[in-house]
Amino acid sequence: MIRTIISFASVIILSTSFSALAKTKVTWSMESNADRDPIMIEKLQNAYNNSQDNHELVIEFEDNETRLTSMRTAMIGGMGPDIVETPGPSYVKEYHAAGMLENLDSYAAEFGWKDKMIPWAYSSGVFEGSLYAIPKTHESMVMLYNKTLFEENNWKVPTTLEELEDVAGKIKAKGMNVFSYGSDGWQPTHEHLVGIYLNNYAGPQAVYEAIIGEREWTDPVFVEALELLKKHMVDEGYWSGSLENYYAIGWDDFHAQFANRGAAMMTIGTWTFQATQLGIGASDDEWGWAPLPSLSSQSPDPNFMIAIGTTMSVNANGKNKDGAIDVLNWIMSNKDKVLDIAKDFQFGEMVVPLTLSSSDIPTDIAPQVQDYLSEYARITGEGNYGYCTWTFWPADPGVHIWKDMEVVWAGDISVEDFLYDHQKMWDKARKNGDTLPVPLRN
Amino acid sequence: MIVAKYRSREVISNYIILIIFALIAILPLAVLIFNSIKPQMEFGVNPLGPPSEIRFENFSEAWVKGEYAKVFFNSLKLVAGSVLLCLAVSLAAGFSLAKLNPKGSAIIAVYLLVGISIPAQLYIVPLFLLWKEIHLLNTHIGLIIIYTALNAPFATFLIRSYMIRLPDELFEAARLDGANTFQLFFRVALPLSWPVILTAGLIIALAVWNEFLFALTFISEEGFKPMATILFAFQWRFENNYALQSASAIMMVAPVAILFMLFQRRFISGLTSGGLKG
Amino acid sequence: MKIFSNKNFVAWYFVFPVAFIHLFVIGIPSLASLALCLTDWRGLGEINYIGFENFIELFDDRYLKKAIINNVIWTIAFLTVPVGIALTCAYLLTGIKRGQMFFRLAFFFPYMLASVINCQIWKYLFHPIHGLGGFFERIGWDFLAVSPFTMKSTSLFAVAFVDGWHFWGFLVVIYLTGMYQVDNHLYEAADIEGATKFQKFRYITLPMIRPVFVFSIMIIIIWSVPVFDYVYILTGGGPAYSSEVIANYMYSQAFERFDVGYSSAIGTLMFFYVMIIVALFGLFRKAGWDI
Repeated sequence: MIRTIISFASVIILSTSFSALAKTKVTWSMESNADRDPIMIEKLQNAYNNSQDNHELVIEFEDNETRLTSMRTAMIGGMGPDIVETPGPSYVKEYHAAGMLENLDSYAAEFGWKDKMIPWAYSSGVFEGSLYAIPKTHESMVMLYNKTLFEENNWKVPTTLEELEDVAGKIKAKGMNVFSYGSDGWQPTHEHLVGIYLNNYAGPQAVYEAIIGEREWTDPVFVEALELLKKHMVDEGYWSGSLENYYAIGWDDFHAQFANRGAAMMTIGTWTFQATQLGIGASDDEWGWAPLPSLSSQSPDPNFMIAIGTTMSVNANGKNKDGAIDVLNWIMSNKDKVLDIAKDFQFGEMVVPLTLSSSDIPTDIAPQVQDYLSEYARITGEGNYGYCTWTFWPADPGVHIWKDMEVVWAGDISVEDFLYDHQKMWDKARKNGDTLPVPLRN
Repeated sequence: MIVAKYRSREVISNYIILIIFALIAILPLAVLIFNSIKPQMEFGVNPLGPPSEIRFENFSEAWVKGEYAKVFFNSLKLVAGSVLLCLAVSLAAGFSLAKLNPKGSAIIAVYLLVGISIPAQLYIVPLFLLWKEIHLLNTHIGLIIIYTALNAPFATFLIRSYMIRLPDELFEAARLDGANTFQLFFRVALPLSWPVILTAGLIIALAVWNEFLFALTFISEEGFKPMATILFAFQWRFENNYALQSASAIMMVAPVAILFMLFQRRFISGLTSGGLKG
Repeated sequence: MKIFSNKNFVAWYFVFPVAFIHLFVIGIPSLASLALCLTDWRGLGEINYIGFENFIELFDDRYLKKAIINNVIWTIAFLTVPVGIALTCAYLLTGIKRGQMFFRLAFFFPYMLASVINCQIWKYLFHPIHGLGGFFERIGWDFLAVSPFTMKSTSLFAVAFVDGWHFWGFLVVIYLTGMYQVDNHLYEAADIEGATKFQKFRYITLPMIRPVFVFSIMIIIIWSVPVFDYVYILTGGGPAYSSEVIANYMYSQAFERFDVGYSSAIGTLMFFYVMIIVALFGLFRKAGWDI
């Protein structure tokens, strides 16, 4: 018995002294995806681990919904991963308010992070004057179309509402759906469309004013925007043929529908690029992309909505804060390595908002994506950007905007009443200090 | 002769009704089976019918990707532990509520009833914090205790509703022979109750086998994860890979189905023996 | 049961383990959670006392009302359809000799499957592209080509159908356990007197399985209160809250909107709802039911 205890004790002593020599572990809980995970392991985890001898990065993959809940529960208990990955600023805000995130100001200053990043993206992580989060992926919404199909039929890629409704009629006459899209598996998909209609009908300026509280959401311009969305969704069935089918169709299905000419166009975020390239990109048809059409004279110029897909922060209660910061700094300082990861996802994921010059854009990605990247940089650089709901809406109105949109589409509530409720939620969020950072508009 | 004729007609109608319901129950499962051996390519053209080519690779692929060899034993451990613990406490409580009726037992009954109706969303976060404090996170015993608490109220009521039908005379007779309450429980109640023990055990086993919310929240270390969490992860990671999903679903249900078939016979026989006959 | 009442404290030994484990795992954490109903806690950070504000909001909440009504509809649906079918099938099963095993296994099979799998099967079957939808569209029955999970008029019933399909085999087993307790002599005697199948059911089976039957009714009513997984997985309460139920609404408030205080207020309301049900059971018990 005593002998066993002694041998146990020696094992423990040995192993602790051994681990003192070894690297310290840095944990990162990351959204899982069968296609992406191996690349993240190879080009992020292993690449980082091979680059230095102090820390060992361990990425723990988990499906997003359970990950968010279990990470949150763990964080309340003072545990959780060293690097806290969230789906956007509203989550960062909550963790920050609870004092669970490390203030990154001193590191940002020491390592010059601010100068390396796109300004609006940097400011999206600033809460109460200090940096708490860095975007892991920034994104936007675009319109994809089947180029071959459009050319065959002599259709014009729509840039205005009139052109959109005109070509939609022609597409439907061919027995196809106008847009391929659906919300099965991800109910918040609705907010992608809401964002498009708010920004491209009312215009980014009006949306900005409403976000900062200088305009009410009950303003007629927003009512009209959502009335138009309702008309296109419910009456016209632009997305996958009908509201019901839009609800029933998920990610793989809408990519297949777009690839096999079930639909002629698609409204989607830039996270689609890899799947698009694998879907329609592998078919006989060629795909093209365009900025989303202007839907009214209030929003005549093309704009790109800006959004944060995922953020990275450092857990204030983490076991290895130094390691976490070192990982973040490795990401910020190795532009070539980060671009190499993004390249594998066709710039749909891990698009860290580092400032890029045109020579940074890899040439071995889909030409459409290269084209998009330079257009996006040009237009947003001119200040023509709109606002995605999941990045600039506080938590409560952020859920309301998609969840209750179904009630509008069901005809149970009018657009006016919906926006009246929406304004009330914003008022409450503003009163409670729940609003999120918004880049100044020039 | 007339009686016999009437009877056989009656039996035929019995069978017809039973067959209709049996089909409703199992036909949709045929789709699951077809899908599990169908090549993924075939789903577009033939979503419902049997596959043109049988492909068992879906199973081996799911087996490897889900590390089923490992998670299978984790699940087994959880099921065995939970069934034992939960049956032990529920049998005792069911016996007490059915035959002993201590003063104030109604309070316990009401408490357990209310307990069944509490949704997990209400207490999962405080429970997590408690489990963290007492170091039960990432342990199977921690989950076994949770599963016992989750299933015990139902099992208790089930056992109680069975034991209440056991004739009082048997207990009175044993009592007159000098048996104490524990002996009444072990020597009289338990031997007569094993149909309900099997039923309750089976239901607890199924609930634990299929549970994923608590398993996902309370077990974060890969090596401890049970089967249901892997299945859940599959749904997300291979969203529209119906072949892989169906194969993993079938691998999950197969052990339970076999278990059920094994115990089925025992359900029936033995019921007529013992002290049940008036 | 006079002969047992002299050793009351021994009787308590028997219920103590269940009571202790349940209080420890569910009771006390639930109370801790309910205590938050008077606060504006958002799940993280500081907790502020806000009085009855949550409850005032609660009474204005039209989706909560919708969820409560849906829970009631759900309960009624489960008390009728699966109970009726399960009673019929269990009774018919006791009357046949061949194929017992097959039918039991068939009926019980869906109950053996995890909710995730059942939902996957039915979502697939009802899918407008993959499942029966595509089939109906090809033969021109367009009204059946739409997934019932995505129409607000049918979503609740579609979800209840899937859950019920999964659940009724369980009831069959419960009823069978009771029916096998019935003394065969009673049936033989009834046969001699020339009783019909229905008469035997009505006058022998039903009274004899009453404890099990009442138990099943009770458990359905109680289980209908926290119903969550099927709704969450199949529709998330949508479209437009048409399949919303209380537990899912509570989940959404706590884990989507981070309104933990409000979610606790809903939990408190739910608690009162359950107490009303339990009080009803008490009344039945007084009226002589074996509850």
